[in-house]
Amino acid sequence: MISVELLKQISRRSVWATLAVMALVPALLTAVIGITRPALAERVGNWGSVVTESSGFTMPLIALNAMLLFLLPLAVAIFAAQAVAGEAAWGSLRYLLIRPISRSRLLAAKAAVAAALSVAAVATASLSALAAGLLAFGWRPLTVLDLRHTTAFHLAVVTFPPGAAAGRLGLALVYVMAVVASTFAFALLLSTLTARPFSAVAGAVGLGLVSRALDNVPGLHVLGPWLPVTDAGTALWTTAFFQPVDLSGLLHAALLQALYTAAFLGAAWLRFARMDVLD
Amino acid sequence: MIRVELAKQLTRPRTYLTFLALTAFALALAVALSATGPGRVERVGDIPLLLVPRTSMFTLPLVALSSTMKFFLPLAVSVFAGEALAGEAAWGSLRYALARGASRSRFLGSKAAVAALFSIAAVVLVPVTAAAAGLVAYGWHALPVADGSASTPLRLALVSFDPGQALGRLGLATAYVAAGMSSIFAFAFFLSAVSSRPLVAVAGGVGLTILSRVLNVDYLPGVAVLNGYMPNNDVDLWQHLFQQPVESAGMLHFLVLQAVYSATFLALAWWWFLRKDVLE
Repeated sequence: MISVELLKQISRRSVWATLAVMALVPALLTAVIGITRPALAERVGNWGSVVTESSGFTMPLIALNAMLLFLLPLAVAIFAAQAVAGEAAWGSLRYLLIRPISRSRLLAAKAAVAAALSVAAVATASLSALAAGLLAFGWRPLTVLDLRHTTAFHLAVVTFPPGAAAGRLGLALVYVMAVVASTFAFALLLSTLTARPFSAVAGAVGLGLVSRALDNVPGLHVLGPWLPVTDAGTALWTTAFFQPVDLSGLLHAALLQALYTAAFLGAAWLRFARMDVLD
Repeated sequence: MIRVELAKQLTRPRTYLTFLALTAFALALAVALSATGPGRVERVGDIPLLLVPRTSMFTLPLVALSSTMKFFLPLAVSVFAGEALAGEAAWGSLRYALARGASRSRFLGSKAAVAALFSIAAVVLVPVTAAAAGLVAYGWHALPVADGSASTPLRLALVSFDPGQALGRLGLATAYVAAGMSSIFAFAFFLSAVSSRPLVAVAGGVGLTILSRVLNVDYLPGVAVLNGYMPNNDVDLWQHLFQQPVESAGMLHFLVLQAVYSATFLALAWWWFLRKDVLE
């Protein structure tokens, strides 16, 4: 079931186009930075700072920082939105349901493949950035400046040997995937509610926008830790590059994302199991 | 022609829902600020301006404007502009509207005028509601603003505006934000002429603000050249009006930029709409 679905998705041109954009943007970013400002320090998240040319490992950090604002959630939303609404838009959903398979299994297979593609998008972006970075700036130890603990008298710098930097990057990717989980689940829910993939993508991107806008309203700070998409949550993966790693925020964020994801996926399942499929 | 269009839009629930949502947002903000600590210092914008909500009624409109200008106001403006033509097309009434004995240019003009009127009303509504709530909650007092960029731990760069002056500057700020929405308005209106689905036009207008923000040097190093030419980045410069002395150079540049963007997109919309095969 999953393999059928996977085959169908990877024969789609839109999937390859999305992944190609995910691979191209970091490469382009590396080229632009390499040509115009390799020796400048770039901000990563709220508190990190790296000097690009010091190591090839800086590029994945810069690319993740830039793309996690919009491009990665967009890619995730596209894959999740395609799942059900894509079939409905093609008019093939009802024929799909004629197969002697329960709706739950179909939805699970669709969700699994969309999730795999989303993971692939995140991995593509960071691997492309890593490859471009290593090519441009070399396999060297990664030095990260921790601005939160830096004062005029003390420079809080951590240096990771290349192997450790790669390990930390892997850890950061896990956080990144966790942080886009609620967007993914919301897009999947919308995908079962509408027959137009575009609406589902727009809605999922909209969730991020509304949540981020509410997060930035003075006076509504109380809401901050409970919103699905926030500036703080988006920058959370950078904690993997600080020493010592602060796990308290991560646990809270992971729980929150798990709750939102479970709620949205549950709603999607309820809806899909009961919906009248007319397309 | 304009009157007909105005009457039509005024009967739409969507119009009222948009206004209602903006009003509710401003009121919720006022309530949240009063409930969570009106005596605390709030940082507003990138400068930042430091305000204590309790001191004056004018703190609320400042907070409301700066928290809506980057997403909720662009959304409202995109809704009005995006609905204008694509809304008719989606209803299937566009070809009948064109069958009337009015030229397409006039039709387009009245659509744009009414949508622009509603957009301006949306922008004005937010600070007005917030100011009204502020008047009830905190009263007609002079507005003290500390300039966070000029302040040091030892010295607070505090300016106080008396109520009349604060009101005048608030008016200017609102006008600036309204002008700052014009590129988004024009782009959504253009998409509305091209597409027959309002959602596409609305998402496009909002998408332009996101694109503008993503292509910002804060997020994407290496695009510093573009920074002064993005359609929506400098919409927050009105906050400089509450500094002393006012830095107005960037604001003027932004207003010219808005005029160029709006003229381009509106002209494109007009060009497209005059030649369009209207099938819906």
